[in-house]
Amino acid sequence: MSATLVTDLSRAQFALTALFHILWPVLTIGLSFFLVVIEALWLKTGDVDYYRHARFWAKLFVLNFSVGVVTGLPLEFEFGTNWAGFSRFAGDFFGAALGFEGAMAFMLEAGFLGIMLLGWKRVPRAVHFFATLMVAVGASLSALWIVMANSWMQTPAGGSVVNGRFVVTDFWAAMFNPDMVWGVSHMWVAALETSCFVVGGVSAWYVLKNRNPAFFMKSFKMALLAAVLIAPLQIYLGDGSGKSVFNYQPAKGAAIEGHWHTNPVGRGASWAVAAWPDAEKGANDWAIEIPNVLSLLATSTWDGQVKGLLDITPQDRPPALPLLFYSFRLMVAIGLYFFALMAVSLWHAWRGGWQEAAWQSRPWLLKGWLWAVPLGYVAVEMGWIVREVGRQPWLIYGVLRTSEGASQLPASSVVFSMAGYTLIYIVLAIAFFIFARRWLRKGPELTLEPPLRAVAWRDRRI
Amino acid sequence: MDVQSFLVAFWIGVAGLSLLLYVVLDGFDLGVGILSLVACDEDRRGLMMASLSSVWDANETWLVLLGGVLFGAFPPVYAALMQGLYIPVTVMLFALIMRGVAFEFSHASGRKWLWNLTFGLGSLGAASSQGMILGALIQGWPTLAGNYVGSGWHWFTPFSLLTALGVVLGYALMGTGWLILKSTGEMQDRAYRRGFLLLLGTLATGVLVLALTPLHNAHIASRWTGSAALPYALAGGVAIFAALLTMWAYLKRYEYWPFFGTLLLFVASFIGLVASLYPYAIIPALTWSAGAASSGTQLFMLVGILPLIPIMLFYNGYQYLVFSGKVDGAAYGDDEAEAASGASR
Repeated sequence: MSATLVTDLSRAQFALTALFHILWPVLTIGLSFFLVVIEALWLKTGDVDYYRHARFWAKLFVLNFSVGVVTGLPLEFEFGTNWAGFSRFAGDFFGAALGFEGAMAFMLEAGFLGIMLLGWKRVPRAVHFFATLMVAVGASLSALWIVMANSWMQTPAGGSVVNGRFVVTDFWAAMFNPDMVWGVSHMWVAALETSCFVVGGVSAWYVLKNRNPAFFMKSFKMALLAAVLIAPLQIYLGDGSGKSVFNYQPAKGAAIEGHWHTNPVGRGASWAVAAWPDAEKGANDWAIEIPNVLSLLATSTWDGQVKGLLDITPQDRPPALPLLFYSFRLMVAIGLYFFALMAVSLWHAWRGGWQEAAWQSRPWLLKGWLWAVPLGYVAVEMGWIVREVGRQPWLIYGVLRTSEGASQLPASSVVFSMAGYTLIYIVLAIAFFIFARRWLRKGPELTLEPPLRAVAWRDRRI
Repeated sequence: MDVQSFLVAFWIGVAGLSLLLYVVLDGFDLGVGILSLVACDEDRRGLMMASLSSVWDANETWLVLLGGVLFGAFPPVYAALMQGLYIPVTVMLFALIMRGVAFEFSHASGRKWLWNLTFGLGSLGAASSQGMILGALIQGWPTLAGNYVGSGWHWFTPFSLLTALGVVLGYALMGTGWLILKSTGEMQDRAYRRGFLLLLGTLATGVLVLALTPLHNAHIASRWTGSAALPYALAGGVAIFAALLTMWAYLKRYEYWPFFGTLLLFVASFIGLVASLYPYAIIPALTWSAGAASSGTQLFMLVGILPLIPIMLFYNGYQYLVFSGKVDGAAYGDDEAEAASGASR
């Protein structure tokens, strides 16, 4: 059996399972914070609408959460099943990070989820709020450890290779590897931003349809105000992550931008808005370029030097150049769309206020929010494609090649698992969309009253 | 004991504790799922699932912790186990995925029976693959530098089919114990009757597995008959005591002891088995100490994770306490669950 075939199958399977999984934690992370905020507002103001909001969004949360949890399981085990070489080589740091994620984050989330979802009548309000907070903290801590582990694969640090294994000598340096702060913050804010536009977009839909518009203006307003902070922050973080890529992973940077020739000293590198990079030819088939902009983006100077792909040995260049090139541009375009939508909406709120009628008279603006619902997910997928395909042909950048990390398996086994995942994920996606649609159509229950007093467990009859 | 062997022993302990907690907690959870396949109607199935609604996710999380601990503290063991058990691990994951989403989807769906059936079949699938994995671990497999060499089917033997049957019956037995705790009336009555039969079945299968194990594993055979056989006899003694206690509890229809007696039976068998396999992670070639991470990593993880273990146990226990008591649809959970169970009625 050919080893490359098995490696490619394992790569395809990991891509499938990771790209499918990441769709769900994104909303878990953001929505869990939204739930913390509305529960806090309810406790502070006593406005029952906030309680009803909490109950309404929690239904979407639990549907989303359950898919996120179970689709995360395969990823943890795939490192061993399909990437045994990698696990042996890098377990000292990578496995430890996953161990911390399980103990510190995942367990926290799961340990308080039941109370948050079903405990309204069973625990005092303060305990319930604490449980909601712990679910949110757990979800974000989980993202911290996972993206930290991934960052280490991008910019490994903190140790050296001894007898074919990476031995960590400085855990602090491994954890805070050069990519870590950018990688973690960019992903975490991506989750907040996606969730922000999901909450805003769903709320806009109800306002547009004139279903409980006053109720949903509350969540819409919160989403818009959050976007005022988040949308520009994400552009800043994206720019910083990009500069870090050019600094630490020049091959990835050049591949993303279709940049072939290192610009000579004193002459700025031009940036291709659109192009078709051709790996065989070692050049772009065609390109629309703006002078000096790539130097500006990569180095913050007009004529900073940016290494071109031709100065990188062919076997170290990332594959699938057009995929990288366009995935990156789509992600950036979505980030800019979010910023523009936020700016126009803020302007409108400034002029017209928060009354639903003022917004219903601008249906195009509300529709702009509706369209934003799927876009955050698209941007997250594009971002991960850029990050992971751009890391190739390395599994751990500059240290371990992908082919060296793959398990030796019968190809039939991987074909079997790949087929199973494909089938199962199609079923999950369809079922989730049906149920989410039903949730959306049904709308909130505006007759729900908060529990007056929690019944302590010891007072109940067993 | 030098630092290195202390760290290895400590992490074997944590991995063992995670596995044990996973087996008993998700065990009753999967067991209730298996039992739901033979429940007489959707109402009762809904009630069975409601008894798990606050805990299934946390129960399954012990598996995530186990994976993380193995990967971090014993990377070569983790790699060799996962690569060598590719198909049963994958099937287990498929089953756990379908079971987990079916649990939540069944609330949202108009076709409850479909998702409830998926939940039951997923539970059965996960339990049987875990049983297969157990059989494979007792038998061991040939490895070359940690890599399994072969066609990928070494785990599929008559012996592993037998262990799979044992695990399915044992989980279902824990499930009846749980249902006795959480239900009343006719449903509880049925759990008592089913549980007693399951206990007999589990014990019969267990004895058979025990009798065949030395034939399949020379290392265990030498352990059980060697000069240091006392601890195994002790574990066996506790298991026999637990079996008699459980049987007594079922006959007398006590409420707590069917569950906790079964728990004790599982704990004793588990400790006996793990001790028998030690020092091997995979018989005949890979030991725990050979498959350990560097002492630096194990120390780093110890400092970070040790203080978390009591905290984890505390809040998991608290969640069980909050949702203690009988489940009868109307009084259990909150109005959300009430609405759901009311609709299914």
